[in-house]
Parts: sequence; structure tokens; C-alpha cells
Amino acid sequence: MLVATRPSLLTPPLIELRGIVKVYPPDVLALDDVTVSFADGEIHALVGENGAGKSTLMKVLYGLIHPDRGEILHQGRSVRYRSPGEAIAAGIGMVHQEIVLVNEYTVWENIVLGAEPVDWLGRIDRTRARRQVQAIVDRFHFALDPDAVVADISVAARQKVEILKLLYRNVSVLILDEPTAVLTPQEIPQLFAELRALRDGGRTILFISHRLEEVLDLSDRVTVLRKGRVIATVAAASSTRSELAELMVGRAVLFTSRRTPQPPGDVVFAIDHLHYEDSLGRVRLKDITLHVRTGELVGVAGVEGNGQFELVNAIMGLLKPTAGAVRVAGQDVTAAPILARRRLIAFVPQDRGRMGGSLTASVVENAIMTHHRLNPQLTRGRKLLLDVAAAQRFTDRLAESFNVVMPGRGAPLRALSGGNQQKVILGRELLLDSPFILLDQPTRGLDVGSIEYVHDQILAMRSAGRGLLMISANLEEIFLLADRIVVLHRGEIVADLPVEQATVEGVGRSMLEGKVAAT
Amino acid sequence: MRRLFNAALGLVIALFLGALIMLAQGYDPLASYAALFEFSLGSPYALATTFKNATPLVLTGLSAAIAFASGPVNLGQPGQLLMGALAATVGGLYLDLPPALLIPTLALLAMAGGALWAGVAAWLRQRFGMSEFIVTLMLNIIADYFTLWAITYPFKDATAYSPMTPAITRNAWLPEFGDWNSAIFWMAAAVALMWFVLQRTRPGYEWRIGGQNSLFARLGGCAVDRNFVTVMLLTGALAGLAGGLLILGGPHRFLRGLGANYAWDGVMIAIVANNSLPGVLVYGLFFAAIQTGALGMELITNVPSEIALVLQGVLVLVIVASREALHQLADRLAARQKAQASDRRSELPVPLPGSSELPGRLAAGETSDDSS
Repeated sequence: MLVATRPSLLTPPLIELRGIVKVYPPDVLALDDVTVSFADGEIHALVGENGAGKSTLMKVLYGLIHPDRGEILHQGRSVRYRSPGEAIAAGIGMVHQEIVLVNEYTVWENIVLGAEPVDWLGRIDRTRARRQVQAIVDRFHFALDPDAVVADISVAARQKVEILKLLYRNVSVLILDEPTAVLTPQEIPQLFAELRALRDGGRTILFISHRLEEVLDLSDRVTVLRKGRVIATVAAASSTRSELAELMVGRAVLFTSRRTPQPPGDVVFAIDHLHYEDSLGRVRLKDITLHVRTGELVGVAGVEGNGQFELVNAIMGLLKPTAGAVRVAGQDVTAAPILARRRLIAFVPQDRGRMGGSLTASVVENAIMTHHRLNPQLTRGRKLLLDVAAAQRFTDRLAESFNVVMPGRGAPLRALSGGNQQKVILGRELLLDSPFILLDQPTRGLDVGSIEYVHDQILAMRSAGRGLLMISANLEEIFLLADRIVVLHRGEIVADLPVEQATVEGVGRSMLEGKVAAT
Repeated sequence: MRRLFNAALGLVIALFLGALIMLAQGYDPLASYAALFEFSLGSPYALATTFKNATPLVLTGLSAAIAFASGPVNLGQPGQLLMGALAATVGGLYLDLPPALLIPTLALLAMAGGALWAGVAAWLRQRFGMSEFIVTLMLNIIADYFTLWAITYPFKDATAYSPMTPAITRNAWLPEFGDWNSAIFWMAAAVALMWFVLQRTRPGYEWRIGGQNSLFARLGGCAVDRNFVTVMLLTGALAGLAGGLLILGGPHRFLRGLGANYAWDGVMIAIVANNSLPGVLVYGLFFAAIQTGALGMELITNVPSEIALVLQGVLVLVIVASREALHQLADRLAARQKAQASDRRSELPVPLPGSSELPGRLAAGETSDDSS
């Protein structure tokens, strides 16, 4: 094991995890003898691919997961927190990816909830509670109004409420699980400034992230985990992004676009004046016009919840638009049944277990979906009988061409890692040979290595002359792959421009503010 | 293999608990069990009776298992069974054909009767979006009183004192081969055919996937709405066939209370079998054995035959509960072993290589939800 920097022997670390082993039943080795220490008053990032064990390690410290072996030292004493409550009492708190707040309550009410100051009659002392919250907000220079109702504030502000909840409980060690995943590019610097202020105020911050540039920007030290083991702990100042990526993945990773210029062909997919109002009469999609040409990849940027869901559902036939038309390869499919669309559209959904596959069904059963209708080689006897041997051959071919690693083609899909599940789904859809491919967050939740692979496959489809529409919350991904960027804001296209004319800042601003120049 | 072991262990635990209950009541459990199995499995005649009694259990179990595995919550087996039985009875009263033609015709009539009754629920669901769960349950009550009316008034045997139809024509009686009633061939054929449909046909594939994740099936181009109707009709037909075979193989007339508890037992069997078709066959036979043996047990011991119901209840609870518990236990034991193995390895003096194991990076065992 390679340890680049060690905490000084003179000042003992604040927290030390020694030889932690955790096996998820029955046999998933999540943490394999992990030893790592965190110094008082540092921002320490944990990076690693999905399944590397970052979250598990932090949950062990937080008392959510009980290790099978190993020791935790907190301020030099051997401890074992059996629940988050015990961990918080000892000064260790964790903010999860999912934010859980009472929407109807104000910010300060949410913060004191569960630890309310009471007067001598046992009533909640609202003035004191309000004052205490204000004091913490002021002390760490958080931009947050304690009297705002949570339902009205942004996701970024809600995240701050979660952090303040812990500060209110006097937590000295803050664990943040991918805090930037839900933020827009503009919101991240402010969060980081606030986190630095917390560190300078004597707090220790443990920060889980996928995004290496953020890690390098924010943290003092970085620990890289791979497959449940600590690969290295390095000082952020002396490290680079590609160095970290290589440690994470175990090989060099390219970050530059491999997109080759290519003149687009004819329009293969067209949405014209698409309009959709939901059952309550709220406008969800507003006069959307969007064309995709062969050999072109159009990226749809936008903060989640600005019409992406409705757009995908309208294209796939899960909802009926109020007005407008959808045409693929010259055919009007606006009102076509799903099977008719599937002859023309390959679809990689964002949710593998909900739309993309059945986790309980075998790899074969997941692989042949849609093909079982469109590929006559998979059925016999007037399409009534399933040709099991052909289905297995088809699955083997898919697994081979898309490098799927699986315990066996008869294994349930859930037995595969997220990256391999996505390869099965991606392979299935790309093998459909459809002229148009709809990608909805195709790399969501995948690790760096798998993302790279998926991107390569997507670019190969572009080279092969397919038309692609990719929805992504990840701007980096869009800038890496897209020929053209459109920005969705409140169900409306507020920007549509070639990638060469777009900037990350401009697109980010359109995502947040709507119609402004995205260049 | 592990499933088989779990089931067997559940059985042993259930029998043990049943023995405790009998002991507490002052009965001799060993003698009672001996009698129970003597009268259900102990002789060729007992075995044949058990198989025959298993027929309605297995067929309604198949109906429930296929419905549950494919999505529709068809709980209308009791009503569909009665409607099937009535259709077969009426056919047997008015049609006269040679047995080789008449028996299949009546079986088809029975299936049509059950399918029709399930079809009502399917239609209400498709047309008005009414939940088939509640509709099938309500239709059970209607079927119950409709058939009672039918055997009390239009089709009543004029010579009988209680509501029942006259006997159906002799040509419609299911042939018997020694002790064995040919109903069991229908049962075996139904299990085999349904297994084939589910595992080897395109519609069966769509039903199963739709039952697991209907949105995925829909997006994949499966005809989910049509599949819903087909499955309702098919499972109705299976329950109807159970009713028809009850008439053709048994009393040869529709008596009051004919449906007994068969269909609910079938639903229970489907749940115990976790919707597996071979499981339905095995548990159907086992429950039939207990029910058949209980009558014999009552004859030679003081234990009332109702103890079979207790035993059945305990069995369901133990098997369903132990399925999960044993799974978790086995998983946890495996996890502990692996943790200890990692323990030993970490004591090796040589540090583990970091980047020398590229091919295994995306090993399938890796969890995908580290960050969840």
C-alpha cells in the first residue's frame, strides 16, 4: 500500500480507521482491510469508482454500518458507534446525497427539529432556537435565510440546511456524500467557500466525490479507494487530476474529447412545436422544436426537473403531447404505439432498474427485450415460440462485443455491477440498429472507467451515422460529446447553439436563468 | 438446491410445531402423524386419492401463480372455479356425445366458464380502470350465489331435497384406471403445458417480465395491456378447469358447497411456492396429502381432522417466514467467512499489488450502489 503523506507522528490524527473489513452478505467484499486517518481541521476527500467503498467506509464511521472487523480511534480512544445518534453525540455527522427535510417548515425549524431548545414548561423556545440558528449562519457566513420555508428554497440551500443541522448539534467532523451532485456549476463555488470557512473554524470535513477537479480544488488531502482498498493518500496540492484518475481506475484515463469533426447529414429526428400540459393544466413542455441530423449528437442540458422527463416520455410514447409532432426517419410517430416507435428509436434510459431492465430477470431475458419482437431470429413458429438457444447466442454476442463481465448469462441482472448492467442495456439498444438513439443520462451513477467506455460507444454510433439525442445533467459530458447543445429551462428551449460557440459558464447561466446568451 | 433444503427444513419445523400443539392437547403426535401419512401415502389407494384431491389445489394454484408472476392480481379463483363447474355441469346435462368427444368438450366449457368470469374483471379494468384485485373478490361472491341459484331453481334435481343438479351423463364421467382417476392426467398436462408457455414462448416471456417490471416491458415494446387480458383469461380458464374436473371426476353433479376451500388453498399454495410452477405441484400434492390423511387420522385416533387446518396454517407461516430468514442467515454466514478470509490474507507480509489487476476491475461481484 502506498501512502504518500502521513499525518505527523507528533500530532495524533483526530480519527483513525484501522483494518476495517466489511462484507455485504453474502459475499461482496466492500471494505478490505482499510486503514486511513483524518487529521483535525482538514478537508479530506475520498475518491474512488462506484463500489470502491467510499460511502461504506463513511457509513462505518457514522455508525450506520457495522464493520465485520477493524477498529475506529477517535481522539486516540477506541470507539464503536452503534448508530448515527451515537456518532452525532460524539461529534461526527453525515450529510447524505438524498436531502430529507420537512418541506412545510422553515429553515430554522428544520434545523432544530429533534433537538429543540425548550423553556421550563417544556415548550419549544422559538426565540432562542431562531437566535441560535441565526448565530451559526452568521458565524460561518452561510448565505441562507433562517425564516424561509424549505419548499421555496433551492436544492443548494436545502443542502446547507442539512449541514447546519449538524453544526447546530455541535458536530466537529462533517461527512458529505457527493454534495455537488445536486448542484449547478454556479452553486458549487459558494458551497466550497462555506466548507472552507467551516474548516478554518476548526471543523474537519470528509468529502466523498466523483469529480476530481472539485476534489483537487477543495481538499487538503485525498484518499483514493479502489475495490475496497486504500490505494493512496496524497496531498491535493501536489496531485493532478489524471494522477488521481489513474489511481482510481488503475490505468490512464483520457479527459479530452475524442469527437472527430464530421459533417451532419439529413434530419433523422424532428420535434416540432411540441407542447404538453399535465392534468392540472401546468405547462411542462412549451413549444419545443428540435432537430437531430444523422451523424450528429445533440446534448440537452438543464437542471433536472425542467422538462427532461416529459420530453423523454413524449418521445417514447409514455405521454400524449397536447400539441406538436414527433417524426423519426420521416415517419410521424406522435401517436404511434410504443412498439412502432421502437423500430426507429433506441432508448437508453437513466434508470437501469426501472426503465432499462428487470433486475430480477436473467441477463438473457434483459438482453433480448425488444429484439424478441423485432428480430425474427429469436422466435420461431410464427413468432410464438422463443428460440432459447438463439437468445443465448445473442446474449453471448452482446456480452462479447460490449465487454460485459457477468457471473453467467443466467444470473439475474442485479448480480452485475452498475457498469455492467449499463453495458447490457446499452448493448441491447445499440444492437437494435435504429436510425435514432435517445440517451437519457447514459452514464448516471457509473464509475470513471465505465463512463469512458459508454462515451466511446456513443461516439462510435455518431460515426456510424446515427442521430443521437442525449439528455444529461452533467455539463462536462455534454461538452465532451455533443455537436450541438440545447438548454431546457422550465420546459422551454432557451438556448440552441453549436458546441464550438458555447461556454460552460454561459450554458450554466441559461440552465439557471433561462433566456440569456449562452455564449 | 438451497431452495429445496429451505423447503424441507420448513416442513420439519412445521411438523414439529404441529406435534407440540397435539402434545399440548393431550394427543400422541407420533401415532397421529403415522395415521396421517398412512392414509395419504401409505397404500396405492391412499396415494391415488391424494393425487386426485390435489387436482383442484394444483390447478387453482397454477392459476394464482401465473397471475401473480405476470402482474394481474387475480384473486377470483373461487368464483372462476364455480363458474367453470357450472358450465361443465350444464354441458354434461344437455350434451350427449361419445366420451372421447364429450370430456374434452366439457373441459373446454369449464375453461370458458372460468375465463368468462375472469374476463369480466379484465374488461372492467381495461374499460374503467377498476382494480382487478377488488373486482375479482366481489365476483367471487356473485358467482357463489349465482351458482347456488342455478342449482336451486333452473337446474335442480327434482328428486333431491337439497340444492343440487341431477347427475351428468355417464359418458362425461372421467375414466378411472384402477384407483387412479384420470383427472390427475389433466393436472399433470396443465402443469407441463403452463411451464412450457411461461418459459419457452414469447408471450410467456412478456408476461413474466411484465410481472417483474411492467414499465420496462412496456418500453421494450411488449403488449402489456393485451397481455393483462390474456393472463386474466388464461388463469380464469385454469380455475374453471379445476371446477370442471371436480364435477367430471367426482360427484358428477353440482352439489351445494362444491367449491369448498380449494381455490383459497390454491392461492395459498401459489404464495408458499413463491409462484414457481413446479413448486405449486409439489406443495399442492403435500397439502392434499395432509387433507386426505387427516380424515383417516380422525378415524383411528382421537385427533380431530381440523388439526390438518392447524398444521396447514403453521406450515404456511413457517415456510414463508423461513424462506427469507434462512436466506439472510446463509448470506450472513457466507459474509462472515469472507471477512475472516480477508483477515488471514491481510496478515500476509507482502503488500497487495495495486494496479496489477486490471482485468478484474469490473468483476461482477462488485456492488453498484456504493454511493446510494
